[in-house]
Amino acid sequence: MWSFYFSELIHSLPFFLKGLWMTVAVSGLSLIMGTIIGFIWGIIRASRNKILRSLIGAWVDLIRGTPFLVQVFIVFFILPGIGIELEAFPAAVIALTNLAACFICEIVAGGILAVPSGQREAARASGLSAYQQLRYIILPQAMRTILPPLVGQYVLLVKDSSVVSAIGVVDVTRVGWLTVQRIPEGIMVFGLVGILYFVICYPLINLSNILERRMTVVATKL
Amino acid sequence: MISFKNVNKWFGDLHVLNNINLEVEKGEVVVVCGPSGSGKSTLIRCINRLEPIQEGELIVDDMKVHDKKTNMTQIRAEIGFIFQSFNLYPHMTALGNVTIAPIKVRKVKKEEAEKLGQQTLERVGLGGKAGAYPAQLSGGQQQRVAIARGLCMRPKIMLFDEPTSALDPEMINEVLDVMVDLAKEGMTMIVVTHEMGFAREVAKRVVFMDEGQIIEIAPPEKFFTKPKSDRAKLFLSKILTH
Amino acid sequence: MLETFNFRVILEYMPLYLQCFTATLWLSAVSLIGALSVGIVACAMRLSQSRIVSRISGIYIESIRSTPLLAQLYFFYFGLPSLGIRLPEAVTGILALTLNSGAYYAEIIRAGIQAIPYGQIEAGIASGLNYFQRMRFIVLPQALGLTIKPMLGQAIVLVKDSSLLSLISIMELTRAGQLLTSDRFMPAEGFLTTAAFYLVVYYILKSISGWSEKRLIFREAH
Repeated sequence: MWSFYFSELIHSLPFFLKGLWMTVAVSGLSLIMGTIIGFIWGIIRASRNKILRSLIGAWVDLIRGTPFLVQVFIVFFILPGIGIELEAFPAAVIALTNLAACFICEIVAGGILAVPSGQREAARASGLSAYQQLRYIILPQAMRTILPPLVGQYVLLVKDSSVVSAIGVVDVTRVGWLTVQRIPEGIMVFGLVGILYFVICYPLINLSNILERRMTVVATKL
Repeated sequence: MISFKNVNKWFGDLHVLNNINLEVEKGEVVVVCGPSGSGKSTLIRCINRLEPIQEGELIVDDMKVHDKKTNMTQIRAEIGFIFQSFNLYPHMTALGNVTIAPIKVRKVKKEEAEKLGQQTLERVGLGGKAGAYPAQLSGGQQQRVAIARGLCMRPKIMLFDEPTSALDPEMINEVLDVMVDLAKEGMTMIVVTHEMGFAREVAKRVVFMDEGQIIEIAPPEKFFTKPKSDRAKLFLSKILTH
Repeated sequence: MLETFNFRVILEYMPLYLQCFTATLWLSAVSLIGALSVGIVACAMRLSQSRIVSRISGIYIESIRSTPLLAQLYFFYFGLPSLGIRLPEAVTGILALTLNSGAYYAEIIRAGIQAIPYGQIEAGIASGLNYFQRMRFIVLPQALGLTIKPMLGQAIVLVKDSSLLSLISIMELTRAGQLLTSDRFMPAEGFLTTAAFYLVVYYILKSISGWSEKRLIFREAH
């Protein structure tokens, strides 16, 4: 029986690869947009504008304080109620982009605030504009603190993307769920699902570790 | 009290202790100096086996430190060790730092240990700082607490590994004063330091090391004014210009 | 939207919500205790002198960290029955949450222990403290101080992660929102109420985290 199911599973492999592609599409799109939005929010969060700062802070808290599954349901079921019809795929991308932006915002703000204030003062003293201070002095230094946790966060977000299977996005997890109805070998089916996630996540985890090591070496040299 | 006989030690290919022979008597104060990487810290770290030696005999208070079977706990309890970077326990107060070993190793009662700890802190001039955490103390004060921590075990020997080199200049003397008092009370001490004033005042002998070897052993007056070896002359000319 | 927001339905379902909130709390609490125990054991194994023991723990930690919790949950939910092991859903859920968070706790504890400067251990050795005394009085109290914040952070993640148990039809907070959606088609009332309950837990744990940090005065030394 086991070998029969195994060959069945091998035959389903193209289906799994389609799911893998969907996982990559959902998380890739969300990561790109989430990174851009997260950087903008993070820069504002580290700025001196109190109102914007606390608005973003409150939003980040709301998102960090609730499960991603609940957020996905809210986007998918509630936005149509106020006139925004959404397919599962865009709903998933919106929810994951927002989640990514919130986590990345905190990482970016932390990185900017970790740059010694003397750096900003020196930049201001030499007549650089606020934008120039940020672009040439603050951000390049902040990147050292930002980069390792940023890549680590990407791993978490790729894994979180599995949750969108709950609204019917046919990603790797959903493919596993559908397959297990037909091939009742949960260990085998979800073993394969696990391996496919591992293929995406493990290199990212290693990259994050390497960055962490390299960045600390640079920091101690300074 | 302490006796090195043909002691050798390697870190990989690096010969950090090269055929060391040295006798230190009870009540004697010996200063060890030399350029960085000369093996002087390793020399004293071997005495309580923070570093094991690979060849030769090392006998401390009639106990064989070179023998792997020797139980080091008892020997370590009798040797106070002062680190360059203090290594105070940051989660304990000054009093907690000085009483933990007496309570846990010597099994002294807590009240007794605290009385002794308070007395010892007073002895290093920090009677009023018993409740302070290391982070609330200056470097000089932290190092004096570290010395009190060593003294609370009523040690027979005190070892100092560059005790003042992590300190700001204005704090060096408060630590050296405590060490001078200790020396005058007859404590057996080996001190790795470049503080020549201290060496002149209390050391009986100065041991000069370079590249893992003992190059010269002489009384401080003689060593500082008429060193025999060229390497010692070079070394002294460098630290004197500072 | 607010004028159509039906507070009466929320009141009507409040007993169900409270019951589900309690379920979320105890499911999380049991998993948290389990995860801490697994984490301590896995960390001790990871730091063991024996290569094999350390390697086994490493494989466990890495495979958990590079796959999503939802895939792990399905792995047990569909996999255990195919091995002939039938467990109540709640037990399967707790098992998955425990093993998942356990791997993260192992890494948090390891980071805490390894962050203690070696000089601290040497000072302990020099004053004659034995291995267990050094662990008990010097390493662990400091490691606890360093790890209390990430530990509470992981506890927040664990509570949120428990929402995934709704997908294997365990009655808990997120499931309550799903019921309100399917019974009455009121997703806004359903999921926003669910979110509010999670936020209560989040803000409580977050303020404990802030408070504990202020109390650990000695941390300034690092």
